[in-house]
Amino acid sequence: MNDNAFGSPARKRILFVVVVGFVLLSCAQLFNMQIINAPTYSERSDENSVKPVYQTAPRGVFYDRNRQVLVGNKPSFTLRITPSTYKDSLSPYIEAVLGFSPGYINKILKANESYSKYIPRRIAKDVSFKVIAWYEENASKLPGVDYVMETQRDYSFGVTGAHMFGYAKEIPLNILQKRKDEYMMGDEIGFAGLEKTYEDILRGEKGINYMLIDSRQKTIGRYKDGEEDAKTIKGYDLVLTIDKDAQRVAEQSFRDRRGAVVAIEPSTGEILAFLSSPEFNLDDFAKVTSSEVWKNLNENPDKPMLNRASMGYYSPGSTFKMVSAIAALNEGIIDSSYRISCNGGYQFGDRFFKCLHVHGSVDLETSIEHSCNTYYYSLVNKLGLETWSKYAKKFGFGVKSGLDINEEKDGIVPSTKYYDRVYGKRGWTKGFVISLGIGQGELSVTPLQLAQYAALLGNYGKSAKPHFLKAYIETETNKKIDVKPQYYDIGINHHAFDIVRRAMWKVVNGAGTATNIKSPDLNISGKTGTAQNPHGKEHSVFVGFAPYDNPKIAVAVIVENAGFGSVAAAPVARDVIKAYLQKGSVDKILSSYSIASANSGTKKNEN
Amino acid sequence: MKINYKLQDRFDLGVFLPVVGLIIFGLLAIYSSTVHHPTASGNFAKQLFFLFVSLFGFLVALFLPTQTIKTMAIPFYLVSLFFLLAVLLVGKTVYGAKSWFGIGGFGFQPSEVAKLGTILILSYWLTYKSRDINNIKDLLVALVIGIVPVLLIMLEPDMGTSIVFAIITLVLIFWSGISLFGLFVVLSPGFVVFASLFGGVAFSIALLCVVAALFFFKRDLFNSITIFVINLASGFFFDYVFKILKPHQQKRIETFLDPLADLLGAGYNALQAKVAIGSGGLLGKGFLQGNQTQLRFIPEQWTDFIYCVIGEEFGFIGSISVVILFAILFVRLLNIAGGAKDKFSVLVVVGILTLLFSHFAINIGMNLGITPVIGLPLPFLSYGGSSLMMNMFMIGLVLNIYRNRKMHT
Repeated sequence: MNDNAFGSPARKRILFVVVVGFVLLSCAQLFNMQIINAPTYSERSDENSVKPVYQTAPRGVFYDRNRQVLVGNKPSFTLRITPSTYKDSLSPYIEAVLGFSPGYINKILKANESYSKYIPRRIAKDVSFKVIAWYEENASKLPGVDYVMETQRDYSFGVTGAHMFGYAKEIPLNILQKRKDEYMMGDEIGFAGLEKTYEDILRGEKGINYMLIDSRQKTIGRYKDGEEDAKTIKGYDLVLTIDKDAQRVAEQSFRDRRGAVVAIEPSTGEILAFLSSPEFNLDDFAKVTSSEVWKNLNENPDKPMLNRASMGYYSPGSTFKMVSAIAALNEGIIDSSYRISCNGGYQFGDRFFKCLHVHGSVDLETSIEHSCNTYYYSLVNKLGLETWSKYAKKFGFGVKSGLDINEEKDGIVPSTKYYDRVYGKRGWTKGFVISLGIGQGELSVTPLQLAQYAALLGNYGKSAKPHFLKAYIETETNKKIDVKPQYYDIGINHHAFDIVRRAMWKVVNGAGTATNIKSPDLNISGKTGTAQNPHGKEHSVFVGFAPYDNPKIAVAVIVENAGFGSVAAAPVARDVIKAYLQKGSVDKILSSYSIASANSGTKKNEN
Repeated sequence: MKINYKLQDRFDLGVFLPVVGLIIFGLLAIYSSTVHHPTASGNFAKQLFFLFVSLFGFLVALFLPTQTIKTMAIPFYLVSLFFLLAVLLVGKTVYGAKSWFGIGGFGFQPSEVAKLGTILILSYWLTYKSRDINNIKDLLVALVIGIVPVLLIMLEPDMGTSIVFAIITLVLIFWSGISLFGLFVVLSPGFVVFASLFGGVAFSIALLCVVAALFFFKRDLFNSITIFVINLASGFFFDYVFKILKPHQQKRIETFLDPLADLLGAGYNALQAKVAIGSGGLLGKGFLQGNQTQLRFIPEQWTDFIYCVIGEEFGFIGSISVVILFAILFVRLLNIAGGAKDKFSVLVVVGILTLLFSHFAINIGMNLGITPVIGLPLPFLSYGGSSLMMNMFMIGLVLNIYRNRKMHT
């Protein structure tokens, strides 16, 4: 390069040569491929085309904390139709064999019309062997119809857990269009619950077989003897925090009732049992879900699709009294010897707020033990709305816990700001605040929040975010990867907890409102609640933990329209606690349900 | 004929008509490869919409005052860098690379804008007053300008695009009159870093080559030692940077360096592309008749493998036409560069030429199996809004420069 000037002719010439050189090279290669070697390539294209055939990977299995299977997989036959070669006149026969209503197949084909007609559509999942035998016999008369072996969710392991497990379904077109580089038509995708949250690790990787096909799409062999094929990789198995025994007891105890149970390991936030009742049948979702099933689920007045455990709004009733108690002790507003006199209620302005009894002189411990309302009307008034609301939020009310399923709501904890917004600055009075003291009024909590609250009470304000995933197992390495809990401490004085915990112990083991579930071997502490409800009989509520000294389980139970907390909710809590703490007791508990399902507990007055 | 003469005087049909031809080929191929596709069947309509918006950009570029083009160089470049940085933080991942912003149903690729930004600012810097490209300081600044976007795009990671940026920077420096020795100084650290990836032995051999070259150039001892130290340091520096990166970032660089690691995907596509093109023969299988295209042996054929559709359905006649249209365009661009009125305009045209040519060469080379599989769109043909809009804007700039060329040349 002798010429170092800007844009010299020599430099221009070099660029020209590079451009023209490459163009000529391309032309030569085109001539080589499309003229000289065209016959070879044509032959390959016409007769030896390679087509990837995908195999779906089985989804990861759900285990409980002791590696018992909760949700598994089972092989099943799926009947498919490929529209390019299918004749519509066959539909009535196939519908008759499958037991479907006329027009069903047409509806599915219509719904998927926009896809390539060469891609097979799933018509029925989990078809019986009889149908497959019929197909095999008549295959030659059924062009465009085939079947494949696939795996399907198996829910026959003794637990239902519909709301926490959730379900996976064939990916709908609108989601497919957004995630087309990850999914293909016909792939399953997690839709709700844990199936949705952990979709990325549960789904596994599809296998690919490269097949040689001719121009009429007939398979004529494997491409390169399968050396470029990719093996199916099963999705990662999940080890959940759930205890199968506790979960089974929760489910069985709720057979004909509405409500929810949540049990948590207090020190780690691990969810031991999680039930929303009534449930829906996950098996209905594992197949191609029919519109009748959807209609029934959505029109059922018991709302089985609603996840009551983490989305249901309830008044906590008297179970909320410990919030005011802890707040007042921690703020130094009262001490354990502080007493008030209960004459059957509390006069505030021109309103009289009632207590269920005349308790006489009551200190903090007895106020919890006997569930005295007067004490808490007066205490919340002393505390003030803002302090009360601050402590309610410390215990996790009014905010989402960050649970690892999508279906969660935050609840309502009223504050000055809240009332101003709802009623206007002058539209509400201090009287609104008084009933908050006994967990009534515009306070809404979820059963999950109550369980978290019980865990914090049991474990002196230290816990971890509630979660379902304990570990997962990497399929490739078979290694178990533990998930670390996210610990936190709400920073409340140890002494305050000591007093409140002792009172909760007396509720069950002293002369309190839940002595009907007293069992020395379990050493349960707790608090009953009876939540008023505008739509009928009160809801029965119980929160508690056990054992008293070093709690291993915290529980919240709500039984809708079942009256006093001790009657319906407390015995369920006791059974769930027992099933978890005393391994081997589960069969005895379950058999007691089948013998005497109508044997309700002794009546006790409480609030 | 007088009217035609006047038109040609103000508007170069030698640039415009080939571009029109290429766009028509592109639309036909996009239609053919997507019309029966389950998720991409709307792409033809979208591309028409993009084309409409592009024409607007083209007209804007055509009538921009030259001074405005100059003044927009620096802000344009800085904004591009900002977007490149932002896309790494909040972009969405498509095919393993974080190079997109999602806006509504459309995506936007900031690297497309950054290409023009880099061309403009390099042209501006290299021709500002009495710049001397053989002055080490001026050269260094030019290199930094070029390398920053390369590094950012490497992190996405988008190998094809960062190669294009590197080529643009090199060609613009080359055109500005860098000496052979200067070229050696620029290229040797890259060579050493590349060698260092293959282990200590390769690294040592590369350093020996550098020493040999330094003897050949017979520069003074101080300069020679400095250059050697820079080479040595860049090898170690890269190693150091690599080690402090997080594992997933390391993995990205490894993928970047070795796109063939995914041999199954890449090898399969390359084979299917050759079969599609070769089986087209002289006249092709006819529009919408290519079985390779219609049966979708190649995924996402409307983007990087669009050339196969033309090869299969329009045969040798069709595919050679596309190459010839590109050749006419490139030769015209080179001539327009020679006749532009100032050095800035010359470099802008050379930069645009380099950009379009490197896309063309890497893409066609991949489709024809003469270069490795590196994903880059084919200008004016591949589906994609950002790329079409920027390409049309740049053609507008070129025609603008042509209109304002020096007279009587």
